[in-house]
Amino acid sequence: MSHWRPSPDEERWLEVAEQLGAAVPRDAVAKRAGGWRSTGPLARIALFVLGLVAAALTLGILRLGTEITVLFAGLITAGAAEWLKVGKRLHASGIEEGLGVAGFLMVAAWFTTLMEPPMNVGPGTAATLVLIAAAGAAGLRLLNPFVTTCAVVAFVSWVDSTAVARSVDQTVGGGVTAVTFGCTLAALALALGAREYRRPSHDRMLDWLVATLPVAAYVQHATWEENPVLSIPGGPGTGRLATTVLMLALGAALLVTGVRRRRHAPLLGFMGCVTCLAVKLRLATTLATETWLILYGVIALVAGFALDRYLRQPRNGVTSQALEDREGPLDLLQTAGAALLAQRTTPEIPPAEPAVTPGGGRFGGGGASGGY
Amino acid sequence: MHTLDPEIRTLHAEGTIDDATASRALALDRGEVFSLHQELRATMYAGVLLVMAGVGMILARNLDRLGPLAIVLVIALAAAACAVPAVRAKLAGRILTVAGEYLLLLAALLASADLAYAERQFTLLGPLWPWHLLLLAVVHAAIAYAFASPLVLAASLTALAGWFGVGGSLGDVLHFAHSTPELGGRALACAAVIAAWRYADRRARPDTRFSDVFDHFAANLAFWGSIAWCMEWPWLVAGLPLLATLAWASIRRGLATGREAFLVYGVVYAAIGTCAAVVPRIDGTTPTLGFVLLVVCAAAAALWQLRRRLRESVP
Repeated sequence: MSHWRPSPDEERWLEVAEQLGAAVPRDAVAKRAGGWRSTGPLARIALFVLGLVAAALTLGILRLGTEITVLFAGLITAGAAEWLKVGKRLHASGIEEGLGVAGFLMVAAWFTTLMEPPMNVGPGTAATLVLIAAAGAAGLRLLNPFVTTCAVVAFVSWVDSTAVARSVDQTVGGGVTAVTFGCTLAALALALGAREYRRPSHDRMLDWLVATLPVAAYVQHATWEENPVLSIPGGPGTGRLATTVLMLALGAALLVTGVRRRRHAPLLGFMGCVTCLAVKLRLATTLATETWLILYGVIALVAGFALDRYLRQPRNGVTSQALEDREGPLDLLQTAGAALLAQRTTPEIPPAEPAVTPGGGRFGGGGASGGY
Repeated sequence: MHTLDPEIRTLHAEGTIDDATASRALALDRGEVFSLHQELRATMYAGVLLVMAGVGMILARNLDRLGPLAIVLVIALAAAACAVPAVRAKLAGRILTVAGEYLLLLAALLASADLAYAERQFTLLGPLWPWHLLLLAVVHAAIAYAFASPLVLAASLTALAGWFGVGGSLGDVLHFAHSTPELGGRALACAAVIAAWRYADRRARPDTRFSDVFDHFAANLAFWGSIAWCMEWPWLVAGLPLLATLAWASIRRGLATGREAFLVYGVVYAAIGTCAAVVPRIDGTTPTLGFVLLVVCAAAAALWQLRRRLRESVP
């Protein structure tokens, strides 16, 4: 039994409880989980946000302005997070994670005030690196893949903003350093994912990196290309080629690995790579925006429809059917997404019309309004 | 990678889980069964989003070049084409697949955009234009019922909310410039209509798949309406008890049906409403922040405890 955080065995039993849900009696797992307690995905998200809000309010009550209050607020929130984690044995419950991350960041923010120049948080500075390290440490302490991924993505961005990266980018093309570094980290995470891990959270941290890093790294490159101030005359050609080759290679590796291992993260990473390549292709052509939007949309729909049709009957165990009928966060997201799309498309009432109640809707969006 | 094979086998060996549960869990854990359902959903959603964005731009930019009638016809044809897989599935007596359902949603959305464009060009509805959202809600509802599609039902309920004048997001309600008791009243009226619709749907079709969609829309609209009432005196007198009642009902529903989302709604909206009602009446920054911190801590503790109870109450 571990007091500091769940042992790998305890964490595995928590994972079993989460996966089997009501199919397994609570007591059968609770004993083996060493008294550690967790919560569901939606409650975890809500509690994480509440934890962050509570930390911000603590800082506000202690009055922002003097450096030492940031340290006090950080210590209080980090202390509260540790009390919940160690004292109440909460794991992956959201509240201790929100408080913990905010606490680590506030302590790191105070530390940056001791550096020269103080609080110099900006692209490529040491102070920013301290904050990123604090976020990473909080993620590792809490075994939270979301936080570790945010830290790694921020680190890729930081690397891209250093003087060395800038000078490399001046030669080979804007943002190429970030793409190369991000893709290398994603490939490394993919390779490490082949190993068997005792802790499910370690495996999940790698999964998150594999799924998000290709897009996160590409965004750095795209920012360079979209910004005429940052772009350089000689570089873009080489940079575009290098980025395309990297994305193609990584995408192929992700697809093959995802299919072989039957894991979602590499497949999501592959979808990210395809998206990046599609954007890249669009930038290389003179197609009108609406044309490529519709073209890519149709390609996505046709691909999805064909795959759905192909996998309607399971092939070698792979299917397009849902395997669970429990309502999860993604179902909620789907309903919200459909509502959002409908809201964007619902026609706007002409402004000249008098206000009518009911019927006085004021939807914004596409359609014929022109105010897209 | 990680595998929970030993743990599942242990539970099975000691008789804690039955054969079916164990074999299913082992098959999933080993990847013997693997579903691409979520990836397909994401792909189809992205496709619908991109197409609708493109169509919106075409309608806005290329009016003169293409001609209004051509645009209306092309979009109507595209909408009809998108509905073909759903029609074929219905004729064959098959359940709508994820791809077919998203294409049907695209068809409904294209029809919405087409109606808007046709109205702008030809003023088909004339003085009845304010009723167009209700018309869309009815048409989308008819499509949703014809093809048993919860996604299109969500589009219908969004149009209905629009007809009631509720913008469709919490931000609209909390935005002080827009948020009025009248807006709150409209949101509550819309929630009541949706709740009644849900009740009728449930009675008419006990095996309906629509209840979840109705529940989420009705709950969110009702909470937004009551929060809007909590912001202004004397509506506050009705708003706060209503908020408390809704929170209690939402939590009770969450515990009874094992749905975590309703616990989150009940607790988080109650916290937001309490802060919206009390904070404007507190003087000074520190007492205000202190009060909000107190509410946040209470909400977090309540949500945690309720989530524990939910797990215990699920059979």
